[in-house]
Amino acid sequence: MSEDMNNLIPSPEVHETDGRSAPTVLTARSVVYSYGNTPALRGVSMDLRRGEILAVTGPSGSGKSTLMLCLAGILAADAGDVTYDGRRISEEDEAQRSKLRRTDFGVLFQFGQLVPELTAAENVALPLLLGGTKRAAAITAATTWLDRFGVADLAGSRPPEMSGGQGQRVATARAMVTEPSVLFADEPTGALDALSGEQVMTQMVRVARDAGTSVVIITHDAKVAAYGDREIVVRDGMIEASRS
Amino acid sequence: MNAAATIAAESDVVESDGPGIMALLRLAASGGRSDRLRIALTAVGAAAATVILLAGAAVAFISDGDGPYALDVLDQPGLRPGVMISMLMLCVPVLVFVGLCTRVGAPARDRRLAMFRMAGATPSETTRIAAYETGIAALIGSVLGTIVFHVGRLPLDSTRFGEYTEQLGNGNTQAKDGQVRLLPTDVSIPIWAVVGLVALITIGSTVASSLALRKIRISPFGVTRTAPPKPPRRSAALMFVVGTGGLVALGIVARSSEEINLVLALVAFVLFVVCVAGLLTGSAAISASVGGFLAPRVGRPDLLIASRRMIAAPYTSSKATASVLLAVIFGAAIQATRSNFVLLDDGFDSFYADTFQLLDGVLIVAVVLATANLLVTNAEAIVERRRTLAALTASGTPKPVLARAVLMETLVPLVPSVLLAATAGVLAARSFFGTSVETSVLAEGARESEMVTFAVPIPWERLAVLTGGTIAISMAITALSLVLLGRSTRPSELRAAA
Repeated sequence: MSEDMNNLIPSPEVHETDGRSAPTVLTARSVVYSYGNTPALRGVSMDLRRGEILAVTGPSGSGKSTLMLCLAGILAADAGDVTYDGRRISEEDEAQRSKLRRTDFGVLFQFGQLVPELTAAENVALPLLLGGTKRAAAITAATTWLDRFGVADLAGSRPPEMSGGQGQRVATARAMVTEPSVLFADEPTGALDALSGEQVMTQMVRVARDAGTSVVIITHDAKVAAYGDREIVVRDGMIEASRS
Repeated sequence: MNAAATIAAESDVVESDGPGIMALLRLAASGGRSDRLRIALTAVGAAAATVILLAGAAVAFISDGDGPYALDVLDQPGLRPGVMISMLMLCVPVLVFVGLCTRVGAPARDRRLAMFRMAGATPSETTRIAAYETGIAALIGSVLGTIVFHVGRLPLDSTRFGEYTEQLGNGNTQAKDGQVRLLPTDVSIPIWAVVGLVALITIGSTVASSLALRKIRISPFGVTRTAPPKPPRRSAALMFVVGTGGLVALGIVARSSEEINLVLALVAFVLFVVCVAGLLTGSAAISASVGGFLAPRVGRPDLLIASRRMIAAPYTSSKATASVLLAVIFGAAIQATRSNFVLLDDGFDSFYADTFQLLDGVLIVAVVLATANLLVTNAEAIVERRRTLAALTASGTPKPVLARAVLMETLVPLVPSVLLAATAGVLAARSFFGTSVETSVLAEGARESEMVTFAVPIPWERLAVLTGGTIAISMAITALSLVLLGRSTRPSELRAAA
């Protein structure tokens, strides 16, 4: 983290990370992606190490969310390679990438990701049910994860009955319930007030560190970026800076 | 011109004495793709309703000099009201379709209406813009329907089904020769009736749209419902149980009765109406109840999502389902009635055969029209949930799971509802016409025929075709809406408005 940024933002809970010495879990090499004729990524290369928390920052329209979508296999890069644990996921088909996201990746968005009709416990259990876990076992595991995020009392509630912060903690529990290797979080606090945002980030980072999960946080908020072990700045579809 | 540009262009008008009708019409026609789709679908529905009503009007205006027709039900004046009622019944699913079309692209329309308010339009002006939009679509559709009806009559009128010779007077007057038409394509419908029907559909649609908008508040910041939808009424189930139980009891009484009793027939009709009302108003309750039973028990993700949707949004498909159930109730009643007539009439007279064949044809059209409503409902439900669906796909939920969830959400409550509807229809017919018939039979070798009582069989095969066919068509129509699923789960939808 740069010295300037440290002066501007409150220091989050600091953890010793072995990220710099850990093996690489995800790499991107010369990734290019365009929306029609509009280029979004112009040859991005980066690495993510096991257990590392990486903040990807940049102004609106810089391509940081597109980078996350390519890294998570939600979008297939037009050119370049994305490799996860030795697998070139940029060359895999949609079904393979979909299964990878269900088993090895967790994905968290700004809002609207919970199924509004399902209870919190069922929302969190959904990835396990998709993997073939029996209902009772899945709900038990979901309740445990809700407890880790301090929202076990909401197990029977539906998302419209929750506050934004509560909903985002449930969503984080759902993203973590399969104990993924990598958690992708796109503006995870973008729709929350400062206090709720801080609670969500603190719990997410704590749980991820406990589980040894790498985290890619897409944000334009310096306070959120400060939770990262490392920060890369994206501008005009390219990495402008990388700082630890 | 897009909505914002139109608002800018009309802003002077809006801010002064209120917009004139032309300004309101231009604003109504200035929407985006989903708005144009809504207008097109509404016009198609209005066109279909116009064609059906004009067909009914043609039957109503058959005079002595017209005909004859190949179908006995058109040839005999006493049976024509039945045909006209059938035409009116066919309009029910079409009008439901028009009503459902007004919800297509509703989120985008709501945002547009809010923009009108932001630009200075008053709440009543905004409501009028939305109502005029429906009115314009209905007018265009109705005029097109009139053209289609009159153009379509030409090839039908040139198709003849043999010749006839009719003796007039006391046998020594001249014969009247002619050719037999299938349908009353030679009947001229008075212009006032055509204009009246077009006006009726246009004004009716506009008024219905205005009434629907009474329940929402359009502010510059969006559209909100002034009254949240009420939970499904369980009392509807009681109505259905009372109606069905009454019909069963009446069937037992009717079995011991030697002939059709008018009082019993009247009671059967009233019980049938109670039964139909219970089933139609209770289809949302059936959806919620089935969902409530399944949701805490199932472990399949698709069935879990579907059953929770059935609880949370029971009205989503109940309006479309209601017209399907209406078609099944009458269809089952027709099939059960046919069983009585087959036994009553030795050899099943060609008149009855023709009549039931015509009713079967009307039934098939009614089922297809009714199930078409499911397409609109499901398409709208998918588009409304596109952000959640996109997020689920992004987090690794396979699209086939989501597709099955959409199918199950419609079909799981539909199956028991269709079976109940068929039961109600059969019970009503058997209560009305009795469960046994007495007919004369000439035994082999006997000189005189004797009266024999036969138990009327339940037409299981025909009922299986009706219920199975309805469910199969519903499944196929619902599957068509899944085309939108691929588009609604694109990553770009992750940033769509919630």
